[in-house]
Amino acid sequence: MKPVYSLFIAGLLSFASLPLWANVDIQTWQTSKGAKVMFVAAPELPMLDIQVVFDAGSARDGDKWGLASLTTTLVGTRTAAMTEEQINARTNELGAQIGGDVDRDKATFSLRTITREGVLQPALDLFKTSLTQSRFDPEIFERERQRTLVGLRQQQHSPESLAQNAFWKNLYGDHPYAHPVSGTVATVEQLKLKDVQAFYQRYFVAANATIAIVGQLDVKQAKQIAENLTATLPQGEKPQALPQPQAVSSVKREIVPFDSSQTYFRMGQIGVARGDADYYALFLGNHLLGGSGFGSLLMEEVREKRGLVYGVGSGFAPMRVAGPWVSYLSTKNASALEAEKVVRSTIETFLKSIDDTHFEAIKENLVGGFPLRIDSNAKISGYIAMIGYYGLPLDYLEQFPKRIQALSKQEVLQAWRKHFDLSKQVTVMVGQPA
Amino acid sequence: MKRNTRVKVMKKLAWAALAFSLTAPAHAKISEFSLDNGMKVLVKEDHRAPVVVQQVWYRVGSTYESPGKTGLSHMLEHMMFKGTKNLQPGEFSKIVSRLGGEENAFTSANYTAYYQVVGKQHLEKVMQLESDRMRHLVIDESEFLKERDVVTEERRWRLEDNPYSKLNEQFNATAFLNSPARNPTIGWMTDIRSYTVDDLRDWYRQWYAPNNATLVVVGDVDPQQVLSLAKRYYGAYQPEKIEATKPQVEIEQEGLRRIELKGNTQVPSLQMGFHVPSLLTAENSREVYALAVLSALLDGGESSRLPQTLVRGKQLAAGVSAGYSATDRLDTLFELTATPVEAGKLPALEKALLDEVEKLKTAPVSAAELQRVLAMEEADHVYYRDSIQAQAMIIGSLVSVGLPADTLDKWIDNLRSVTPEEVMAVAKKYLTRDNLTIATLYPDGKDHSHIKPYKGRL
Repeated sequence: MKPVYSLFIAGLLSFASLPLWANVDIQTWQTSKGAKVMFVAAPELPMLDIQVVFDAGSARDGDKWGLASLTTTLVGTRTAAMTEEQINARTNELGAQIGGDVDRDKATFSLRTITREGVLQPALDLFKTSLTQSRFDPEIFERERQRTLVGLRQQQHSPESLAQNAFWKNLYGDHPYAHPVSGTVATVEQLKLKDVQAFYQRYFVAANATIAIVGQLDVKQAKQIAENLTATLPQGEKPQALPQPQAVSSVKREIVPFDSSQTYFRMGQIGVARGDADYYALFLGNHLLGGSGFGSLLMEEVREKRGLVYGVGSGFAPMRVAGPWVSYLSTKNASALEAEKVVRSTIETFLKSIDDTHFEAIKENLVGGFPLRIDSNAKISGYIAMIGYYGLPLDYLEQFPKRIQALSKQEVLQAWRKHFDLSKQVTVMVGQPA
Repeated sequence: MKRNTRVKVMKKLAWAALAFSLTAPAHAKISEFSLDNGMKVLVKEDHRAPVVVQQVWYRVGSTYESPGKTGLSHMLEHMMFKGTKNLQPGEFSKIVSRLGGEENAFTSANYTAYYQVVGKQHLEKVMQLESDRMRHLVIDESEFLKERDVVTEERRWRLEDNPYSKLNEQFNATAFLNSPARNPTIGWMTDIRSYTVDDLRDWYRQWYAPNNATLVVVGDVDPQQVLSLAKRYYGAYQPEKIEATKPQVEIEQEGLRRIELKGNTQVPSLQMGFHVPSLLTAENSREVYALAVLSALLDGGESSRLPQTLVRGKQLAAGVSAGYSATDRLDTLFELTATPVEAGKLPALEKALLDEVEKLKTAPVSAAELQRVLAMEEADHVYYRDSIQAQAMIIGSLVSVGLPADTLDKWIDNLRSVTPEEVMAVAKKYLTRDNLTIATLYPDGKDHSHIKPYKGRL
């Protein structure tokens, strides 16, 4: 299944979770094989979304960087009963969308289908067999490996990718989050078919799966679908917990010389894990600092006042264990050092005190914007997959606006001062900064 | 891009949007009104969530621009957030943010559009704001100069440091010689640097009027209530005289054109295009539907011909695509792009792509292939309804180029009626060597050894 490589920034946005009003009624249960299911009925449109999430992201690569990503690509390319071309033809003639995606924490497989009789069941069957009866063909393996290498060679000349990769490496050192999700040219050249088979057998098991279902179904149908989907999966077991990342002990700064007209800047540090009690306060503060586009302080200072950039912002990516907080921008080489100074001074000012009007405005944005966050099946599916996978409370979405509303300026600043240290930032610049 | 997250993407999007359309199953129809001043109003109900999207589309974009002033529509889009007689610079965005809204804008070859997504109780407020900047924009010189710098940064980020985008820009300017379809939506760098504040003021005066705009509202609303709000906020403005653009019809191409670009990359890339009509410019619209089917045969899903033959069969391409912007307002291109699995395979890949084109001329497409195209279209027609933004985009993009709002509802029936013979006929007529432009990106040959790609802990 085709992984969708997303930029780091895009990843942040999808992580920037927010909630729902109380009217999203999540039902949850376990299949007899031990997979966790999250279900929301959406009767309005004749369609169905399923996501199956495994703890099988690139953090599980070991020293075979790129293995989770390549496995995600290869799952469902052929099965015991169907060739690759048969699977492709069947998918398209049903109008179904079947895909895979991988990040550091997880590998996600998704089905989108219409629920019309004559389509729904064949689409579910196809999804099930692709996911659970996958076979790995040497020729397909080699072809997809080569395609991955082409993508990685492109990234070697993309200043945006270079900045992102260098940032994670400097921030996470030897931790499994440090390396790029799709590996490197050198590591992907070393991957073997048997590595993929072993990874699939180890991680693509029921006990390691979370299933999110949103669509025109009742709970009884959803139960049957989930049961059937996992019936032939081995039960297996969850992998061991990931190690805790260690914060860097002092300031780190890397300049990667590159022939580009802009300098691509990242500055950040290790943030928090999903479910951290301080996350609400940190998230609210970041929304004001750099997480809300034109309402944010960084946009105001770096772009609106000085015209230095087109894009600037910051965000937390809460993950299974502490994910990063990062600020980012790109500006012409001659402005790079000036822009860096403005970012740092904006953060410094923010950490000292928050203006009352700004604080109320940003709260109103978050609370008032809730209905927008749950206005489609796709968005609801994303949230319940996240809640299920990270084990967040079932009322997480309902609670979010209440928790945001209840926060005081002091609580936000306290949380930031506790977790954030401007003197221990990891900074990366790719370009010819001056 | 604020604004403008979508300058480059729009061309494809408009097509993708239209491709979503299918026949008209049982869902809300579009209510269509016209205000006395000529402004069009289109409303579609979607009551799944208490949310509404407002979009205002102006019929001006990069194909309306003159040499020396390319990108002016996009620059004006940026200035639309910089204050009015009633609002300070940036205040528009701050107000929408306090409502919990999302907002932005985008510019394409065909149009410039502004949108806000808000809780339905805030529709009137955003309508008041949007109508204010339709007629009361203040373009301040110092704000303009800062924002011009922002746009140069945007161009550096999108184009200058991205050889693939640069290839596309130069390809387009090669395929079109005299048509303004050659203009980059963001503008050439020298043009951006040379804008004056009066260029912007003139452009605003020339195009931003109710009779050159379309209002689209989709969401948890009542069409009659939307209409009465629209009358209150947009209906009071007088229409302006909008001068028609000159035809600038692209000259006939009489022989292959080819360019090379050397860029900072190890991975070459190939872009090809044939001149074709759009639904607006075609003498016979059946040719457009045949081209749309042809495009889906080549690149509609993994089972289509290009991925099957070039990526998996011959294993020449790491990636390949076909595209046709059927709803451009001017004559357009049928495009093919491809990335070889290795640089040495570039010539073979070019030949294989053209072989696929030849096959379309000689062998009729099978019923099974046509069936797959239609099945995917039909499913997509359900999927796009999951997003109120996507629904509004389709309506706005059609109406803004002068197509009827129900183009959508008739689309699938039109595709269904395309015959294998018609597909062959358009392939023979348009996909010819003399009508072809080819652009190739090559590595620049410089020594990049000082660049340290990420090696991590190896």
